[in-house]
Amino acid sequence: MISAETIGVSRPRQIANLLPGTALLFGIGLAGKGLESLCTWLRVAHHIPAPHVEYVLWAILLGLLISNVASVPRIFRPGIATYELWLKLGIVLVGAKFLFADMLHLGGMSLVLVFVELALSLTVMTLLGKLFKLPPKLTSLLAIGSSICGVTAIMAAQGAIDPDEEDTSTAIAAILTLGAIALFAFPAIGHALHMGQQPYGIWTGLAVDNTAEATVTGALYGEKAGQFAVLAKTARSAFIGFVVLGYAVYWASRGQANRVERKALFLWQKFPKFILGFVAISVLATTGFFSRGQLNSLSNLSKWAFLPAFAGVGLRTQLRDLVNQGWRPILVGVLGEVFIALVTLGLVFSAVHLGGMR
Amino acid sequence: MSPRIQAQSTSTTATAAHSKLGFNADAAAIAIALALAALIRLNIIHGIGW
Repeated sequence: MISAETIGVSRPRQIANLLPGTALLFGIGLAGKGLESLCTWLRVAHHIPAPHVEYVLWAILLGLLISNVASVPRIFRPGIATYELWLKLGIVLVGAKFLFADMLHLGGMSLVLVFVELALSLTVMTLLGKLFKLPPKLTSLLAIGSSICGVTAIMAAQGAIDPDEEDTSTAIAAILTLGAIALFAFPAIGHALHMGQQPYGIWTGLAVDNTAEATVTGALYGEKAGQFAVLAKTARSAFIGFVVLGYAVYWASRGQANRVERKALFLWQKFPKFILGFVAISVLATTGFFSRGQLNSLSNLSKWAFLPAFAGVGLRTQLRDLVNQGWRPILVGVLGEVFIALVTLGLVFSAVHLGGMR
Repeated sequence: MSPRIQAQSTSTTATAAHSKLGFNADAAAIAIALALAALIRLNIIHGIGW
């Protein structure tokens, strides 16, 4: 896959182009970790009331500050896009924290919850889109983005249902804006409700749209919550092909998109392949392929991989988009997301009550 | 006909999201993870802290 920015550029030059932005991601991530350690040292060694802020939040705040106060120079942009690679690497490696049986149990339960969430969120988003008279394909994009995995799902649907470029941009901006709100709203709600790490993590994985934002929102609550958020989000992302295929068939039947000839191939093309890596590492961990110390090393490596990914979430979020968008897509998004958050919260509390979660 | 939505200023965040990598991130993530796992299993890399 070659992007528009890289056409006509040699491979060594492409790699060199990635270096400044990648260095910026790691620099911000390391600065966030350094600030957490500095504050802890000030509190413990000198009894100075430094803020008790985790490295995850420091990395996001630093990223937000840089991208919103100063404009990020163009030279950094290709490398900043590698946050997606570090995020997926972190997710694959976090598979070492899950025994395969646990993953089947929790992943299976998550799948049931995902199925309910999907049915309800697609229905509600479609109704809200009609109610607020959004263009039909923008409604489809918002429904796909909010029910599955945000921007990735919207981009996957773009090629399948052939929307206007304007609708795609609006849907992406709305989903990213709502993700930015979730970063701060979900941990506050979790603490207010005294949620455990597992239910909170599963909840964020079910309710927060983008994989990056879901992982960060989980990690902001605690390390375990972050891991469970990844598990639930992974189960949710597995449905992307089916939902996009459904919409592609619907719009093709109305003569407003190309027909999907080879549906099995379509499903495979849309399937997020990094999930296979996550499962493979979990299977290796379960079969005793690694010692306890080696598993610990893999787990720590996943945290190092997440560090630049968290910085990337801050860097790509433009707060001015919160106020500059059309009000109706964001209102539909907010209403739909609040509904999804409440429904999934109810589902998670039901699962806890029935003994399916701790 | 549904009214159009003004999206003139959704470009900044959306453009950032549109920025695509010049390689397959899924395949690269799996390859790097498996390579690191192999190096750890062979004790070439060990004791990674946090």
